[in-house]
Formats: sequence, structure tokens, C-alpha cells
Amino acid sequence: MTLIQTGIYLIAALVTIVAFYIQGEEFIRSMVRAQVVQSVLIAAISFIIGIIEASVDFFILGVLIIILRGFLISYFLERRIPGKSSIKYEPNVNLAYYFLLDLVFIVISVFIIFYVVFSSFRVSGVLAGTEVLVFPLALFFQGLFLIASRKSTFTQIIGYVEEENGLVLFAIFLLPVPLIIEASVFLDVLALVVITSIVVVEKQTHEKMEELKG
Amino acid sequence: MNAAYLISLFIILVPGIASAFYYNNIGKASIASGAIVTALSLFQFFLRPSPGTFFIGNITWVFQVMVTSVYLLSAIYSTRYIRGHATGIGERTYFLLLNIFTASMLFSLEINNYGLMWVGIEATTISSALLLITEKSSTSLEAAWRYIIIVSAGVTFAFFSVVLIYYAFGSLDIYSIIHGGVTDALAARIAVSIALIGFGTKVGVFPVHTWLPDAHSEAPSPVSAMFSGVLLPVALYAMYRVYQIDPFPALYVWFGIVSIAAASIFLGYQRRYKRMFAYSTMENMNFALIGLSIGGLGIIGALLLLLSHSYGKAAAFFSSGNILRATGSREIENVTGLARSMPATGSSILLSSLAVTGTPPFGTFFGEFLILLAILALHMYSQLVIILVFLFLAFVSVNFNVSRMVFGKGGGYTETDRVMSTIALIASVIPLVIGIVFLVMVNEIL
Repeated sequence: MTLIQTGIYLIAALVTIVAFYIQGEEFIRSMVRAQVVQSVLIAAISFIIGIIEASVDFFILGVLIIILRGFLISYFLERRIPGKSSIKYEPNVNLAYYFLLDLVFIVISVFIIFYVVFSSFRVSGVLAGTEVLVFPLALFFQGLFLIASRKSTFTQIIGYVEEENGLVLFAIFLLPVPLIIEASVFLDVLALVVITSIVVVEKQTHEKMEELKG
Repeated sequence: MNAAYLISLFIILVPGIASAFYYNNIGKASIASGAIVTALSLFQFFLRPSPGTFFIGNITWVFQVMVTSVYLLSAIYSTRYIRGHATGIGERTYFLLLNIFTASMLFSLEINNYGLMWVGIEATTISSALLLITEKSSTSLEAAWRYIIIVSAGVTFAFFSVVLIYYAFGSLDIYSIIHGGVTDALAARIAVSIALIGFGTKVGVFPVHTWLPDAHSEAPSPVSAMFSGVLLPVALYAMYRVYQIDPFPALYVWFGIVSIAAASIFLGYQRRYKRMFAYSTMENMNFALIGLSIGGLGIIGALLLLLSHSYGKAAAFFSSGNILRATGSREIENVTGLARSMPATGSSILLSSLAVTGTPPFGTFFGEFLILLAILALHMYSQLVIILVFLFLAFVSVNFNVSRMVFGKGGGYTETDRVMSTIALIASVIPLVIGIVFLVMVNEIL
């Protein structure tokens, strides 16, 4: 493995570690900011690949990630945190239990899916011959797990953004889709976060309801 | 830029243009927009652009007519249904979102690019999410949230398919990919399989269907009509376009069968009529999914089923809206004697429930019949038996409940609005007309 590959591996691993941090966190603002860190790290990977492969597309992609994911989404979410934002947390969450469950879930699901399905895909360019696709898959499933394991609207939105981040990273590593489509996807996600922030104000936790039974 | 291309572009843009009348009669502008796009869609049968930016094949055309005509009916119905009840979002915002929602569905259908089609499908979620909280309540907020998070999380999964298609073909052009050969069999097969779960979330494939009954029961009736009648078919269309790359019938047919079985079982114990119709939609969509998957007669059957179902289900939800306004209750057991007290709505809900359960001579019956014939032709005997058992179960569940509501003793309600009951009645008769026209056409051909 070359030095560049090792560097990208380390950043990708850091992205996954940040996802674990979010899973183990209960303070809303900390989770939102961790998502910013995660997005910036993905943008950094995009910049590095862009430099090595001398591709402007990767640079534009990185800039889009920073503006839309790193700045705008976190801005909309933080604005909606009620009361004193730094102390707002998701109550009644058994963090240790979910953290361990997440670990088991990720290890089992990602490794089975990666080795059964995705290991035969050949990554080209600077990461050729590596098994780097395991990181975006881990991120994707962590996003899904976050949505499934928590009841707070904020946490579920962050889970969704994390899932999307996994997808972006997957495309960066395998083969980035045309920029116009990537940009439309980013705008879609941003619009969705803006729309959901309207619901956030009204309903911050989600429980079972008699009217929605069956 | 030729005339056919301009018409296609216009069909997407007109609902957007109607939104420009936000401060001035947006309701009437939406009706006009519905009438224009329906007329243009019908006309487009004779004048379609050659595949380029847009790809409008025969299948696309059928879906396009469905979307535009149900949009027209819903826009007319909404002008009366929403009046004075838009507590969550304003009446004007309601129409604005309804128009954008329709435009995004039409964009998803017409565009000749897998990536942008995905963007369009995601845009339908964004534009329709707030429509669910038109009549704001704690339940509708919860339903809206479940809709947003489950559908977005699911449809995001479908983007893996888009990336894999690009990886396998180096292009996202729908027409050239489905008419060319498969170069990377593994990537194509995985893309097709992922699309089943990804887009399947929006289609109502078991077990990722859970948003469906909540959203349908809590949305205003004209929005439920749009969801059931056309949104789910549009998602099915997107799924089918991915499926066409490398058909994998075994997987799709079995998922369809399991979903029909689940929907039929859920139908058996529903206490609320709108939830009941939502599960009926799940059953019909999965039946159409099976038809599209097996090809041949199955495709014609699926299109006939979807077309008839779109009006039948729209009528069922319009009738539900009339009942809700008149009785104030969503519970089946609280509604009775509609035949005497609300004859128009009683007739429309009875006709629509017969239509959506595939009773002859409604168009849905012929659609289902053709799909079953195609299944038989492929010697899928066990699948056929399972489907028939659960179709019967669904038929009994829906019609038993609706019969109780229509013919039961008591009642004493009055129709709240003549336009609303007329629209429901018109929509409920269309599947019957489709069935009769199909019968005459087949008779002529034979």
C-alpha cells in the first residue's frame, strides 16, 4: 500500500470513527458538529484524489460537500435546536447498549455484505487494488442504525445525512457520477433537511401512536 | 428543439407555472394546469420526442396520462376539500406544493437519465412531505415524519443502483442502457436487486412499506389519492426502468408475492377505512410489480391494472374524504347507511372498492387476469395458487367492510359538497369504462 493510499485509508477510518462518536453521543449540538467534521473529512478525501488524478470534478465535489453538508445543513439544524442549544440532549437513550449493538451490527452486516457482494468491484485510480469500499458501506449502515435506534428527530436527520455521506464516499471511491447529478443529489438532501426542520419544531420525539397502529 | 420535445418540456413546466399564481387564484390555476397537462399528455401519444433528454416510450406515456389526469381530479377536489381546513400549511401553499409534487413526478417519468430520475423521485418526497400536515395534528406530524425518514432512507439506498449502473455502463442514459447489452453482469444484477429495496420502499414492497398506511391515512384525501393513484406507480416505473437492465424475475416475483400476502393479512384487521385502502394499494402495486417483472402479457396486464387502479383508488380516497367530512370519523364501525343518507358517496365508494379489488368488468379485473395468465404461461403454479388465495382474502376484507359502511342500518349524514361527491363518482366510473373499452377492443381484435 502506498503512502497516499495509507493516508486516504486513515481519513476514511476517521470518518467511520466519527460515526461511532455520533452513535455514542446524546447532546444534539455535538452530534450536528460531528457531522460537520465527517463531511469535511470526506471533502478532504475528494480534494486529495482530485490533486492526484488532476481532476477538477473532485475539487468541485469537495467544495460542494463543505458548503452544503459542512455549512448549510448544520446551520439549519443548529438553528432549530430549542432552548440553550449546548445543553439540549436526547433523553432516555441507553448509549452504552446502542453503542455495542451498533458495533456488532456494523461488523456483521458490513463484512458480510462487503465480502459477498462488493469485494469483486475493482476500484480504479489512486486506490486501485485496495478494499477501501468497506468504509463507505460501514458509514451507510451506521447512518441506518442511527435512524433505527433513536427517537429524536434531530438524531434521525443526522442518521440520514450520515447515510448520504456514506453514499457520496462510495461514489468518490468507486466512480463519481456526473457532477450535475451529484449536485442535484446534494440539493435534494439540503431541501429535505430544510423541510424536516419544519417538522422538527412541532415534533421532537417519536413514539408509538394508537391511531397509526396496524 | 422540435415540437415533440417542447410538449414534453411543457408538460413538466405547466404545473410549475401554475405555482406562479401563488397570490392570485392558485387553486383555479392548478385546475387549469391539470386540464392543460392532461390534454397535452393525451396528445403526446401521436407526437413523442426521439430519445435524448427525454425518453417517452409507450409505457411512459401510460404513466404520464395517469399522473396528469389524477392531478386534474385532485386539484378540482382539493378546491372544496381543503377550504377552511388547511391549519398546518395555508391553502395557497397546499396548491403550490401539489403543483411542484406533480411536476417532480412528471420529471421522473420523462427524463432519460437514471441519476436525474432518482433526483426526481427524491424530489417527490420533499414536495409532498408537508402536504401531509395540511390538517395539522399530532398524528399527521408523526405520519409525515415517518414518511420522510423511512422513504428517504430507503430511496437513498437506491442511489447505490445509480452508482453501480454508471460503474457498469459509463453512462446513465436510460434508453441506450436498456436497449444495449449488459457489460458487467455482476454490477447490473446487484443494481437491479438494490433497486427492489430502494425504490421498493416507495412502492410499498414488504417489509419496507411501513410508512404507507400512516401517510395515506393522515394525508388529506386528495393527497392520499395522488399518493395511491400515481406516486407509488411512478416509483414502480423507476424501479422497472432499472429492472429492465438485467431482468431478475425470480427475486421480484417472490418479493411481490410476499408483499401481496402481507397486505392481504393486514387488510383483514383494519379498523380505519383510509388505512384499509392504503393496504389495498400495497396489494395492487405488488401485483403490478409481478406483472412488470414477468414481461409479455404481464406488462400489458400491469399497465391496465395500474391505469384502472389509479382512478379507482383516487375515487376510494375522494369518497373517504366525503365520509370523513360528513361523519367526522375515520373508523369503519362508526360509518353506516351511506346508501340511504349519502347516495352519491355510497355509490362511489362501493364502485371504487369493487374496482380496486379486481371485480369484473372493471379494468383492474382484466389487468389482474392478464398477469395471472402470464404467470400460468410461465408454469409458476405455486405462485399462482398463493396469489389467488391472498387476492380472495383481500377482496373479501375490503368489500365486506365497505358493504357494511354502505348498506348498514342507521346513518343520517348529508353530503357536504356536491362537487366533491361528483368528482368521486366520476373517478369511480372510469375503471368501469376502461374495462368495457378493453373488452370491446379485445373482442374486435379477436
